[in-house]
Amino acid sequence: MSAEYDVEFVEREDRDARFLVQGITPAFANGIRRAMLADVPTMAIDTVRFVENSSVMFDEQLALRLGLVPLTTPPVGEFVEDDTVTLSIDVEGPATAYSGDLVSSDDLVQPADENVPIIDLKDGQRLEAEADAVLDRGKDHAKHQGGVAVGYRHLQRVAAVEDLPEFEEPDRRIVRGVIEEDGELVPTSEFDHDLSNRYPGQEVTLEDVPNSFVFHVETDGSFSVEELVTRAADTIESRATELENAVQL
Amino acid sequence: MSYKCSRCKRDVQLDEYGGVRCPYCGHRVLLKERSRDVKEVDVN
Amino acid sequence: MELRVTESSETELSIEIAGEDHTFMNVLKGTLLEHDDVSAATYDVNPEQSGGQTEPILTVKTESGVDPLDALEEAAVDVREKAVAFREAFEAAA
Repeated sequence: MSAEYDVEFVEREDRDARFLVQGITPAFANGIRRAMLADVPTMAIDTVRFVENSSVMFDEQLALRLGLVPLTTPPVGEFVEDDTVTLSIDVEGPATAYSGDLVSSDDLVQPADENVPIIDLKDGQRLEAEADAVLDRGKDHAKHQGGVAVGYRHLQRVAAVEDLPEFEEPDRRIVRGVIEEDGELVPTSEFDHDLSNRYPGQEVTLEDVPNSFVFHVETDGSFSVEELVTRAADTIESRATELENAVQL
Repeated sequence: MSYKCSRCKRDVQLDEYGGVRCPYCGHRVLLKERSRDVKEVDVN
Repeated sequence: MELRVTESSETELSIEIAGEDHTFMNVLKGTLLEHDDVSAATYDVNPEQSGGQTEPILTVKTESGVDPLDALEEAAVDVREKAVAFREAFEAAA
C-alpha cells in the first residue's frame, strides 16, 4: 500500500514554517515529529581547550555555553559522525564575547547567529579557546537538536454554523492552529484566535479533519525547515530499510 | 609553582625553605596563579 | 539495529529490536495494524518492568496461514515507502 500525501505550506520562512499534510496517520506524523527533534544530526561544540580564561566564569560553564551555540550543519554527505571542525575564539575585555567571535576552520560550519552572548569580559579579562565541533543527534545531547519548536495540530474545519438567539451574549470561542474554510486554509491568528470575531452573532462547531495535520516547525538555524523535514524523513526511511534487510536474513 | 603577592602584586616563586612570605614586601598572603597549561574540557 | 526473536510460533512473533525507541516502533506498529492479515501488533519498551531490559519488544499476531515475519517485512517496506512518499510530497510543495 503506498500512501498518498499532500503537502501545502501555510506560512513559510527559512527557520520557521507551518505546513499542512493530508493523508498522514497520527502514528507517522508523530514519528516525523520525534525524528525532527531527536534523530536529525547537527553540528555542535563538544570539546573546548582553554588557553586563557580570566573571566568570572569557570571553564566548564563557558564550555557548556559554547556547546549550546547553534552551528550551521553541512549538507548530507559532507560530514560523517566523528569528523571534527575546529573553531577558535579570542576576545579581550572590556567587551562581550559573542558567538560571532568564533572563527571556524570550515566555511560550512559557522555560528548560525552572530549575536549569542557568551560572556561579558571586564577590563583586563580575556577568553582564548579552541573548540572542536562534532556531528551528533538530539537524542544524545540537546545541543544537537536541530528542531526547537516542532509540533502539529489537527486541521480543523467548520462543521456547522447556527445563528445565536437574538439577545444572547456572544461567548468567546478560542481556537489555535489552522482552520479550513471552503478549501481555503486560514491561520487562526488572522482573527485573533477567536471564532466569534470571524462569525459574529453565530455559533460555530468545529471538527478535526481526520489524517490532516498542520505542522509547525522551527529550527535553531542549523539548517532550513525544508532540510530538517527531509532529513527527518530520511532517518525513518533508513531505519525501515535496515529493518527490511535484517528481517530478510 | 608561581604565586602572586596579594599586597604588592608581584610574582613570587616559593621554595621549600622560605615559608609562605613575599620576599619583596614580607606579606604573608599569596595567591596562586592559574596554570599556563591549556585545559581541555568536555561539554556535557 | 539488531534483531533477536524472543518468542515465535505459527502466527505469533515477539522480536526485540535493539536501538530503537517510540519514534520508529510506533510508526512500525501503526503500519502493521493497517495490514488485513495482522490481527494484533504491539510493542513494549520496558517489558515487565524487567530490570535493565529497555530494548523494545515488538509482538505481532497474524491470521492463520500468514507468517508474522513476512508481515513484519511488508510493514518495513510500507514504512520505507511512506517516508519516501512523504519526502517527495514535501519537496513538491517546498
